[in-house]
Amino acid sequence: MKLAQTYKALGDPVRLKMVQRLSENPTYTLGSLSKGLGVTRQGARKHLMMLEEAKLVRLVPEGRETKVLLNKASLTKAKSFIAELERQWETRLEALRDFTEQ
Amino acid sequence: MDPASQDVIQKEIIISAPAERVYSAITDPEKIVAWFPNEVEGSLAVGERPILSFGADGKTQLYIVDARPHEYFAYRWVPGSQHFMGDVLTVPNTLVEFFITEEAEGTKVVLKESGFASLPSPHKEESLKDNNGGWEFMMGRLGKLFAAN
Repeated sequence: MKLAQTYKALGDPVRLKMVQRLSENPTYTLGSLSKGLGVTRQGARKHLMMLEEAKLVRLVPEGRETKVLLNKASLTKAKSFIAELERQWETRLEALRDFTEQ
Repeated sequence: MDPASQDVIQKEIIISAPAERVYSAITDPEKIVAWFPNEVEGSLAVGERPILSFGADGKTQLYIVDARPHEYFAYRWVPGSQHFMGDVLTVPNTLVEFFITEEAEGTKVVLKESGFASLPSPHKEESLKDNNGGWEFMMGRLGKLFAAN
C-alpha cells in the first residue's frame, strides 16, 4: 500500500471527518457513520470504499449491520512519514551549515 | 484555503557565513551536491526542471519556482519520494522554500515545506492530478488529527 494512497484517501473533509469520528469512538456502523456528514448515504458509502481501499478502515459485516473499524497502523505510517521528512530536513540543514562554514 | 493548512514543515538554522555564501550553496548546482543531492542534472534557474539524484535512493525531478539572490529560493517536488520523473506540477506536490536573512548571530536559513495552493476537487478520484487540494488539505490537517488522539 502506497503512502500516496493514504494521503489521497485522507485528503477530503468528509473522509477525514469519518476517520476523526472513528478515532474518537470505535463503535460506528456503516449506518451511524454515514449520518450528519452533509452527504447522502450513497455518497458516504463511496467515501468509505475509498478509505477501505487505502486500508484505513475495515468493513466487517455483523448481522444486519456493517461495523467500520479504523486501521490505526495506516494512520501511524502516514504520521511517521511527516516525522521522517522533518528529520531529513534537519540533517540536510546541518550539512548545509557544515559545508558553508568550511 | 484555510491558512492553517499552509505550513507543514518548518525548520531553521543559524550559519556563521555571509548570506551570499549560503545562497550560493543552495542554488549553485556545483555546490548543492556537497550537502543535498549527489548530482544535479540541469539548471536550478527559475522555470527549469532539473533532476536531483540521490545515488541508490533514486532521482526526483523538480520545478524551480523562484530565486532571489541571497534571500530566497523555492521549488516544487513530490515530498518524500526520490523517484519521481516528469512534470511535478501535474501531480500532488509540495513547495519547498528557503528564506535567508542576516541576523546578529549569523545568517538564518528558514526551510519551509508546504502544501500546494490549488482548488480542491475532493470528489474526483480518477487521477492524482485532481487531488492537489486534497493533498494539501490532508497534510495540513494530519498534525491536528494526531494531536487530538
